[in-house]
Amino acid sequence: MEPRTEAIYNKNIAITALVGILASLLLAFKEGVFSPVPLYGSLIFILILFIGHFLTNYLFPNQDPALFILCCFISQLGLIMLYRINSESALKQLIWFGIGFFLYFISSFVCRNWIEIKVGSLIFFITTAALLASPLLFGVELYGSKSWIAFDNVLFQPSEFAKITFSLFLADSLKNHKIEKPIYFFGQIFVVLALLALARDLGGAMLFYFAALTIIFAATSRWDLTALGLIGAGVAGILGYQFFGHVRVRAKAWLNPWEDVPGKGYQIVQSLFAIAEGGFFGTGLGLGRPDYIPAVTTDFIFSAFFEEFGFLGAAALIVVYFLLVYRGIKISLSIENSFLCLSALGITVFFGIQIFTIIGGVIKLIPMTGVTLPFMSYGGSSMVMSFISLGILNGIKMRASGGEADG
Amino acid sequence: MFELLSRTLRYVFIILIYYFLYNFLKIMIADLRGEKTQPKETGFILLDDDGNRYTLFDINTIGRADDADIIINDPFISSKHALIFKRGSKLLIQDLHSTNGTFLNNKKVTRPLRLKENDEITLGTKKFKFLRSETLGAEDRSYLQ
Repeated sequence: MEPRTEAIYNKNIAITALVGILASLLLAFKEGVFSPVPLYGSLIFILILFIGHFLTNYLFPNQDPALFILCCFISQLGLIMLYRINSESALKQLIWFGIGFFLYFISSFVCRNWIEIKVGSLIFFITTAALLASPLLFGVELYGSKSWIAFDNVLFQPSEFAKITFSLFLADSLKNHKIEKPIYFFGQIFVVLALLALARDLGGAMLFYFAALTIIFAATSRWDLTALGLIGAGVAGILGYQFFGHVRVRAKAWLNPWEDVPGKGYQIVQSLFAIAEGGFFGTGLGLGRPDYIPAVTTDFIFSAFFEEFGFLGAAALIVVYFLLVYRGIKISLSIENSFLCLSALGITVFFGIQIFTIIGGVIKLIPMTGVTLPFMSYGGSSMVMSFISLGILNGIKMRASGGEADG
Repeated sequence: MFELLSRTLRYVFIILIYYFLYNFLKIMIADLRGEKTQPKETGFILLDDDGNRYTLFDINTIGRADDADIIINDPFISSKHALIFKRGSKLLIQDLHSTNGTFLNNKKVTRPLRLKENDEITLGTKKFKFLRSETLGAEDRSYLQ
């Protein structure tokens, strides 16, 4: 790494730490008396950040340090908001952050020394399908979709993990830049989407659908398939509107939330009120009313952030997410091996679509769907899986810059 | 008290967040600029008998001319003698109609040929070895011991 870039990275680490300390000091005074809990939390976070950055840089000299800094910055803003909303969940989230970093490290390491997986697309497909089918068989129903598995009090969402195996499946099927055995291939994708629809995880199904469409286009450059896919998405939307009550409620709440403010439109209306309250500079940390917004720690955390950090803060957050996606695409472009290239792209595309879906949903750009905001929303499996995905991306980057064995 | 602090600090937060962004955008712009102008190193080098190394980029012309990428002053080498270029992840060598010919492992190069590690390239009377830059680094260290 060049010394100048390194200096910039170090500066950004310092800024992240400074934001954390300032915010935690401010939150410590929130109740009128000084309580040191947020400060301790912030110090633990900074410790993980420092160890994470310098240790990984020392062990993996040709990694992409920006990935870790960007996701830490976002996680920290998420932790600040969570502490401000509900201090207990922030503590749990901090533990998940620690576990996430550990897994980031492990998955980077494993991927760097990736023993070229020769298992083929079928194994990836079976893993994906098994992961998605498992909550249908022994899952619990939560927030209207049956996509969770409970291990004594810890809820786990297998579809988060399926995102990675699904990207690997697509990358492996398309690594020769053409679709071999189209009926078989589209049949497999259809099974995955059907499993998601059976669990009534329609946000998830949409995510997988658009990710598949993007990767197929990137691999084959076929406009006809993309156009067909977009028409298919439109038809699926209309059918969903006709047959799922769930979808109809969401679509109506999106088209005109003011029609039924205390009922169907409640979530989105509260989110819009919060955003309007924020203005340009926000109300200031701790002065907003996130308790009015439903599901504020998970789906609507962006509205709470918007209220207290304002339009300027929220716009900056979107740019930080954009930078994360940019780094991912840059890594994917720099790789010759088409399997690794498409895997990196798949992981990045999942991030990008997920971020767009949830932020678009809470600001009423598109209908609201219940997906999490990576690194920010409260939730263990989302946090951990986002870190593992980034770790894989980082591992792929290291493989590429370490000189590849074959092309 | 808390209200006042929070109202003032919100500006500080926004300034810090934007400073963070500014730094990253600076790196991004430097990246994009670097990608455009700087040729990419391939990780391979040429080593001649005198121990001179020549780093190989995506496209390298070898010859006596001043505008060749790798300039070698030798009377038996033509002004544009040979070309080493990248196709996919492989490096290929091609003769540029030189007077004294280009030889790969003592065979005359008539069409683009793929280069492998430890190949011997002969241009005129000069001999070169085609090596990975890392292997040479390791050898260098072993000399020191």
